[in-house]
Amino acid sequence: MTAQYTREDTKSLFARLQATGDQSYREALARLHLPLVEYLAKRFKDRGEPLDDLIQVGSVGLLKAIDRFDLDRGVEFSTYATPTIVGELKRYFRDKGWAIRVPRRLQELSLRLNKIIAQLTQDLGRSPTIEEIAKMAGVTQDEVLEALESGQAYSTTSLDAPAGDDEDAPMRMDRIGEEDLRLDNLEYFASLAPLIEQLPEREKMILGLRFFRGKTQSQIAEEVGISQMHVSRLLARILDFLRQGMEGTAEY
Amino acid sequence: MNDQTVTIKVPPIAAHLAVLRTAVGGIAARDRFTLDQVDDLRMAVEEAATQLLRHSGGSPIVMDVTPTDSGLEVRLSADVPGDVRIIDESSFSWMILRALADDLSVESLQTRTTVVLGKKRLAMARDAE
Repeated sequence: MTAQYTREDTKSLFARLQATGDQSYREALARLHLPLVEYLAKRFKDRGEPLDDLIQVGSVGLLKAIDRFDLDRGVEFSTYATPTIVGELKRYFRDKGWAIRVPRRLQELSLRLNKIIAQLTQDLGRSPTIEEIAKMAGVTQDEVLEALESGQAYSTTSLDAPAGDDEDAPMRMDRIGEEDLRLDNLEYFASLAPLIEQLPEREKMILGLRFFRGKTQSQIAEEVGISQMHVSRLLARILDFLRQGMEGTAEY
Repeated sequence: MNDQTVTIKVPPIAAHLAVLRTAVGGIAARDRFTLDQVDDLRMAVEEAATQLLRHSGGSPIVMDVTPTDSGLEVRLSADVPGDVRIIDESSFSWMILRALADDLSVESLQTRTTVVLGKKRLAMARDAE
């Protein structure tokens, strides 16, 4: 087994690593500086990625720093490693964001549309058309569609964040509790039951309301106390999860 | 199908299903469908196309969207080899599609399987000025 080292041993460990190339010194250095990675990873934890993943990404940066560190420069290793680790974390978000990043302009429009849709739904007593939404928002139908589509894309990470959409009110459990959800119909689909069990309560509820009770998205939004767009995103995600689940690759 | 039909053909690759979904959303949105209905159609197309993709032996998936007097008819088709019923009436898919579409049928002609989805436009007479 490796000996116990402290941070004071950093210099001597580097000296020994560079002299011998023995990988156990590299491992010891990595273990020693893992708290630095954890500390830096935590600064990124509000961006919707699990902390464990971030620590893993940061560790890659740490190993790079260990491999490139030159004792002769006379700087502290932690000083040298910090920008490398942070750089690795930033790059991770940049690469990941390439597929899902939504321009700020669309995010803002999307948020504004949420309010407009709720308002119109109330005024009209039904779900509004895209034309009606565009008119009220003062944008083109294309822009509305673009924002709605981006809402779908954005959800791939934003829904992973436990906080969720902060403008959405929490679910009104008191009202929902009394509803007969008839989820027992689902027992019919034996292969689905274990998957549905994995869904959070709210998602189960939304699934039941839409597909067993035939409620519209607007009605569900009203009943659950979240926006129509959020219902739309959740439904798309639930169906995606169930499809993947039936192929054995799902993780909600 | 008529002279107003929009036809899109995509390779059987999961990433391309989003193209079909987006296209049907765009068409429905310009045809005075409500947001709920547009979303329903998008989801229905994704579900039907996913099932076709799963069973099509590498053949492209074709979507025809036709405006009718009452709404839109969406036909999604692919070559499905063998004697496979891609969406059994007792399946979860069927139940989802039935909830999302107003009309639903699956046609088989030799190896060609077509899922036909109908969505009715909301009667908006009361909103007319």
